[in-house]
Amino acid sequence: MIFRAVEDADLITRVRKGDVEAFNHLVSRWEKRVFNYLLRLTGKPDDSLDLSQDVFLKAYQNIRKLDDTARFGPWLFRIAHNEAYSHFRKRRPEAEPEDAERMEREPARSVAPELTLAVTAALDRLSPEQREAVVLKVYQGFKFEEMAEILAIPVSTIKSRLYTALDLLKVELAPTDNRGSSRGMR
Amino acid sequence: MSTCDQAELLRDYAFDELPAAARPALQRHILECASCAAELDQLRLTTAALRVLPDQEPPQRIAFVSDKIFAPSRFWNFAPWLGFASAGVMAAALVFTATHRPVETRTVMVQAGSQAAVQPVDDIVSKAVSQTRSEDARMFQAELAALETKHERQHRILMDAIALMQQSQNTNALLAAYTQQQSGAGQ
Repeated sequence: MIFRAVEDADLITRVRKGDVEAFNHLVSRWEKRVFNYLLRLTGKPDDSLDLSQDVFLKAYQNIRKLDDTARFGPWLFRIAHNEAYSHFRKRRPEAEPEDAERMEREPARSVAPELTLAVTAALDRLSPEQREAVVLKVYQGFKFEEMAEILAIPVSTIKSRLYTALDLLKVELAPTDNRGSSRGMR
Repeated sequence: MSTCDQAELLRDYAFDELPAAARPALQRHILECASCAAELDQLRLTTAALRVLPDQEPPQRIAFVSDKIFAPSRFWNFAPWLGFASAGVMAAALVFTATHRPVETRTVMVQAGSQAAVQPVDDIVSKAVSQTRSEDARMFQAELAALETKHERQHRILMDAIALMQQSQNTNALLAAYTQQQSGAGQ
């Protein structure tokens, strides 16, 4: 992760000098993560791809505004978060992201279908804010400080959202039996 | 959810967010507290279940082509002014061409290797033109002379023919007069 940050910083320096290919390297490093983050928020691959493109375009246009090049990841995901919520606001009259759109989510391949469905259903029962906290922590592996930077909220709020979400998810995915030991979905 | 007062620290520990200095004490606590041990087990099971959803590959790769021609630069900041300037130059060129005859240019053909061989092209062209003209004049004169000769011969033949015709008319008149005279004498 440190090496990656160092290399990202080097690429950003080159991008700032007008090297578009360096930016393409940055895109290739981050596009899968950004796409999957947006996919887990929107549930739509096409929208996620369009939003990913917008995210990287904005990143390219604003890369000079990035103060600390070592913080490129959280900065990029801050843009992605803003793009996703801007997208939700535009589409709100048609359908809420947490209902109609999420119904179109494709089940993941090469995983037991019942487990996939259980996880998907459990995530769908969370509020958008709780779900985003889970996505950023569990799937994207960001630290609380980075999440606070991405979502522009205090760490305490991040923790509250995440731990509340986990309490709900535990009931679905790792219920305990009467003797107190967890059975889980093994 | 653990009812232990260490529950908050336990969750931070589960997500690797607990400061390194606080970890040994919490690890010891987990060994002693069944509630926290069960809670940690449950948290790990939950996150493991969540992670069965794999990342998907983007359906298309995102790539940016070099857009230097679109990127704003100092040069293109002057583009509107360059447009006006080029229009002005073109207008000036049109006015100049309309009011001035182009100056004749002497073109010098240079043959490599010899300064003596340097000769003005115009001289060569003038000489060639005069030679062509004199040749044309000579041929014209010759043709004209031949036509005059031919015309003269045709004229002579025509005059001879006219003379013969006149002679023939005279002969006929004499013959008619003689015939008439002879017929009058016979009556």
